[in-house]
Amino acid sequence: MKTLLKILLVLALASAAHSKEISLLNVSYDPTRELYTEYNAAFAKFWKGKTGDDVTVQQSHGGSGKQAQSVINGLEADVVTLALAYDIDAISQQAKLLPADWQKRLPNDSTPYTSTIVFLVRKGNSKNIKDWNDLIKPGITVVVPNPKTSGGARWAYLAAYAYALETFGHDDAKAKSFITKLYKNVPILDSGARGSTITFAQRGIGDVLLAWENEAHLALKEFGADKFEIVTPPLSILAEPPVAVLDKNAKRHGTMEVAKAYLDYLYSDEGQEIAAKKFYRPRNETVATKYAANFTPLKLVTVDQEFGGWAKAQQTHFADGGTFDQIFQPQ
Amino acid sequence: MKLNKLWLATLLGAQLAVKSLAADNTDTNRDSDIEALKQQINALSQRVEALENQQTANQQAATNAATGQIQALDQKVRVLARERELDQEAAAATAKAAPKLSVGSSGFIASSADSNFVFRLDGVIQVDSRTFFNDSAIKSNDGFLLRRVRPIFQGTLYRDFDFKFTPDFAPSSGPTIFDAYGNYRYEPWLQLRTGKFKTPEGLEQLQEDVNIQFNERSLATDLVPNRDVGLQLWGDIAGGVLSYAAGIFNGVGDEQNSSNAAFENEVEFAGRAFAQPFKNSDITALQGFGFGVAGTSENGTSGTKDLPNTTGGTLPGYTTDGQQQFFAYSATTVANGEHWRLSPQSYYYYGPLSLLGEYAISDQGVRNTATGAEAYLHNTAWEVSGGWILTGENASFNGVTPLHPFDPHNGQWGAFQVVARYAELDIDDAAFNGFANRATSASAAQAWSTGLNWYLNKNIRLNASFSHTTFTGGGGAGTTAPAIVTRQPENVFFTRVQLAF
Repeated sequence: MKTLLKILLVLALASAAHSKEISLLNVSYDPTRELYTEYNAAFAKFWKGKTGDDVTVQQSHGGSGKQAQSVINGLEADVVTLALAYDIDAISQQAKLLPADWQKRLPNDSTPYTSTIVFLVRKGNSKNIKDWNDLIKPGITVVVPNPKTSGGARWAYLAAYAYALETFGHDDAKAKSFITKLYKNVPILDSGARGSTITFAQRGIGDVLLAWENEAHLALKEFGADKFEIVTPPLSILAEPPVAVLDKNAKRHGTMEVAKAYLDYLYSDEGQEIAAKKFYRPRNETVATKYAANFTPLKLVTVDQEFGGWAKAQQTHFADGGTFDQIFQPQ
Repeated sequence: MKLNKLWLATLLGAQLAVKSLAADNTDTNRDSDIEALKQQINALSQRVEALENQQTANQQAATNAATGQIQALDQKVRVLARERELDQEAAAATAKAAPKLSVGSSGFIASSADSNFVFRLDGVIQVDSRTFFNDSAIKSNDGFLLRRVRPIFQGTLYRDFDFKFTPDFAPSSGPTIFDAYGNYRYEPWLQLRTGKFKTPEGLEQLQEDVNIQFNERSLATDLVPNRDVGLQLWGDIAGGVLSYAAGIFNGVGDEQNSSNAAFENEVEFAGRAFAQPFKNSDITALQGFGFGVAGTSENGTSGTKDLPNTTGGTLPGYTTDGQQQFFAYSATTVANGEHWRLSPQSYYYYGPLSLLGEYAISDQGVRNTATGAEAYLHNTAWEVSGGWILTGENASFNGVTPLHPFDPHNGQWGAFQVVARYAELDIDDAAFNGFANRATSASAAQAWSTGLNWYLNKNIRLNASFSHTTFTGGGGAGTTAPAIVTRQPENVFFTRVQLAF
């Protein structure tokens, strides 16, 4: 009997020792599909060369807020790469899958790349949309996703609000009036950035799409530069999409080491190059210089500067009963 | 408009001509008239031009207004269409997140959207009849009976934790718990089960009750344990190419079902390894071939609970196919010390053919409490059974699914299978040196059986079979089993109506 047990134990251990197929789940936000498709292939090659193991990274995409809620509800992500820090904070606070100070674990507050919000308009820009104040004019139709579910939409909302604060001498009442007028020109709210791109580019709705910079470039590439053009406003917001390992899930899956390496590699030269090529603004200055032509210079304000951080911004503007609920009436 | 101008000019020209012909009396009058006419012409021209401009402006305004309205309507239609699209997406997402409920041949299944939580209700009802021939001495063994009446509750919690609870309401002694266990599934190849379940030993015993080919399992199953309470590490490696199980149990006597609790110092170790080396290969003729070995070991057994039966006891003991006791230890015999079992086993399924065979050894230490005599008994049994499905379906360890379920209106009759089996059980001769009564208990039994199984559909099955068992020894004086059973060969005809879902 003892011999039999030993044989079984050896078989089980041998089976485990030969398991070189590693699987990671990256739960991300809407417009990062193309970025992580290319990045995952590069990382798998890097990891194979380093360890000999095969790693397959599964991707899940959707509105950042919805994705965070899915993780909180039990979606077994090893890593999250979401649109804003608040969503990962929510995972930390509600599901306790990673420590509260997760943002300190990687450089640049765990944001390996940045982005901003720009305007995508129809070719010729017949409505002559150049800046945020053009969006509140009568007859202008604006397409933007729902800030309740989309991280990109929250960035867009705050970018517009920041413009108004800058323009009206930080008069919050006037800024609120401005944002109210803007959202009166929004006929429909998609749940995520990709949905809004479809609404604008494929369904032919609206005069202007408030889009992630990378999403706007992707739309040009996918739907044709002869149909759309990008308008970069003089002022927008510095969007900092963060990344984090979900410690508890990764430990349970035995993927902690590879999950950490996966995020670390985003800061490597190759990771930064892939991000830049996909129109995410790289943190690495050398790479940023190399791809400077991809990014129009503009004044970028931060959430911390204008809104006192994400927690405050979330509570003031996007929580139930917040400013957005007060100003937006579905048409 | 140009025609109007031409007509006006012609009219004025004619008027001038008439005037020049009719009255050329004075140049002064003529010049003034001409000037007046010129002014009239200019005025009229300006008026016509103004009217033209007004008309053009009106037309342009109307066109612009119509275009604007069309564009606005177009946008509204597009927005409405997109809203409907988004509503449909949302509805689909909601439906995807909704719990799933299904009722079918596999029972009643409710599960969460992500299948992490599953509740399943299955059940089995077996209505049997047993008719014995040429057993005039035994008056009360024919009749109908409810062999099994078991609702089966099973499911999954938090994706990796399974459970199963199977009571049986058929026993005349009252409801009995057969399965009650929890199972943690780390991976298919590494699982941990605890509770009451089948000890990993006999091949035929491990086959689901609803899938065994005869009403009752063979003589070989007399020497292996049924269900016991314990803890088992088990798994299927490489998709079932190799299966293993290793566990610690309370320990039960041969063929016995645990009474749910046993407090003693010694435990029974049980293990089983079973290989199906060609399961995932392309060699179809060998995919259904499996072989393995299983065994149990327990030291320090004592008392009667570790024995198959004692005369006058309440346990079923070594029984025939007809479930009649043909061997029993004497009332003063108890288990004593080591008890181990070994069972090499194999099956082969290919198309309609099924073959299953196993050998069972049960070595048992015993002691007669009256005389103090001790012995170590070596009991053995084996069986081989086979089947052939007449209607073209594939046979398998997990049952038969008819290709054409019973539907006489459409000329479908289900699946038919013929089955046959031979089995022997041999009691160590040393058992009759003071531990069992040679006059009443048989020292060996040999049984052959044959039958026909009719699978109406996946859930309903009818069986009819006949078993003939002969005995070596026994048959002496006495009015109860085992003497009365071993006095003549056993001939029994079985029927069964089985409803399993």
